[in-house]
Amino acid sequence: MSFGVDRSIALRHDARRMAAAVRSRPSPIAWLIAPALLLFVLFFVLPFGVMTAMSFFSSNPVSNPNAVLTTRHYERFIVDSAGIFHDALWSTLRIGFITTIISLLIGYPLAHWMARMQSRLGHALVLMAVIAPMLTGIVVRTFAWMTILQDKGVINTLLISWGVTAKPLPLMYNEFGTIVALVHIYVPFMVLTLTGVIGRIDERLEQAARSLGAGRLRAFAEVTLPLSLPGILAGSLLVFALSISAYVTPSLMGGTDVLTLPMLIAQQVGTSFNPGFAGALGVILLLVSLAIVVAYNRILARLSGERGMA
Amino acid sequence: MSTALKAMTNKRPFDAGRAAYLALNLSLLAFLLVPIAVVLIFALNPTPYISFPPVGVSLRWFEKFFASSDFMNALWLSLWVAGCVLVLSVTIGGACALALARGNLPGRAFLTAFFMSPLMLPAILTGLALFQSYLLAGIGRPTWGLILAHTLVAVPYVLRTTLAVLHNFDHRIEEAAAVLGASPIRVFFEITLPLIRPGVFAGGVFAFIVSFDQFPVSLFLVVPKGETLPVVLFNYMKFDLDGAIAAASMVSILLALSVVLVLERLIGLKAYVKL
Repeated sequence: MSFGVDRSIALRHDARRMAAAVRSRPSPIAWLIAPALLLFVLFFVLPFGVMTAMSFFSSNPVSNPNAVLTTRHYERFIVDSAGIFHDALWSTLRIGFITTIISLLIGYPLAHWMARMQSRLGHALVLMAVIAPMLTGIVVRTFAWMTILQDKGVINTLLISWGVTAKPLPLMYNEFGTIVALVHIYVPFMVLTLTGVIGRIDERLEQAARSLGAGRLRAFAEVTLPLSLPGILAGSLLVFALSISAYVTPSLMGGTDVLTLPMLIAQQVGTSFNPGFAGALGVILLLVSLAIVVAYNRILARLSGERGMA
Repeated sequence: MSTALKAMTNKRPFDAGRAAYLALNLSLLAFLLVPIAVVLIFALNPTPYISFPPVGVSLRWFEKFFASSDFMNALWLSLWVAGCVLVLSVTIGGACALALARGNLPGRAFLTAFFMSPLMLPAILTGLALFQSYLLAGIGRPTWGLILAHTLVAVPYVLRTTLAVLHNFDHRIEEAAAVLGASPIRVFFEITLPLIRPGVFAGGVFAFIVSFDQFPVSLFLVVPKGETLPVVLFNYMKFDLDGAIAAASMVSILLALSVVLVLERLIGLKAYVKL
């Protein structure tokens, strides 16, 4: 026992010395970052710069010599004379918010179950069940929900044949259908974020609360739930960021009822061919997303800080 | 309320709370999995339109899918793009992970967040920004432009799986080899590379799927008659909702499921929980 302790101290000492030596040595491995950096500068940073620049030009500045700098694309959005842009922004945020809340309500029990599961096989099976939908594309999963929710779909056929309703319920081509499909698509992200956080909460804290007389629900509500709050925040921000940028699902499931910012952008590129205004809409969506990303990274950094202290 | 529940659960040998918890979670799992099963039903159901309940089993939609040149061209393009993305993202992402984990770079946390950011920023904006850049550069919409765009969003997945493996294995193995006189290059090829291979490979499989299923990044970057499978399916679904889509979906799903099995065998799925 004491030998073990001595040895571990010696090892730790060695490791620290090594680490210090490694740190001071300039590492040629660092150059391996070059290809990724090149790719990201040319195909990520630069294009987002181009998009931002385009949003301040009246037309394509390369092909059209008369192109001038202007803020009219942003004015068009702010003035919103047709009364659709603000609605689109608002419904993008609303759909994102509702999707996030429902994903949390569905994702939390699953994540808790998985994090507390004793059997390794059970854990692997549930994890596979959660990841499998993640690996089937967004288009495929939206199609699945269209077959379930449309007028002649699974749910309406069953309800009518059971005599619950005479006319098919309007489950699709509206915000409801959009949100159902979005929740299905983004719940796995919530589950994976939460599982990691709940798994790191010491189960004995809850056991202690219970042995002191708290019921299972109370122990959960007063111990586990507050401790998993950072995970809830991180998962919610992730799902929110993903669902406000969804395009496929709202445009297929929303019908004429739903118009979101990404749909508006696609319209500007595809049918109106107005890259300047599309760029301005892109910048607006980007600003919302960036705010979310910054918050997400802060929370993750705080999470790993806590882990480091433990 | 909670005391009543407690009394109830304490008295009975049958644990009602536990059963409710289990039932809730199983129904949530069903919510995740049933839609995929429904797609299988419609892929095999021979009626010309989506209708329920199914009337029989046939492979006509698979035949239609595999016989249609539109679908097949799109499938081959998607497979070709995804194959290129796999190779590129594994090389670029694997190298980047090594540099981040072993390169003693200043600002590591920032760089990692930076390379992960395509996952968090709206993919449709990545597509839009690249579309506008290609437009400005006057290069049209070449296939290599699509491949590099997909590579950009696939690299974070390779980075994540590789970094997970790099964090898990003992740094001292490399140091021991170095102390015993191996050159840095030999250490890399004989110790580091074999150890991180499962992580890099798993990331590559993810990269393949991300590219194969990619929609938002592709939307503005494909040309008419040169669309990837998800874009073709999306356009088809706007007007027609028949079993061919279900068959195409099944092909994608089977591909994804086989990939999950490969992943589980390779390094276990635990590494992905650490987002």
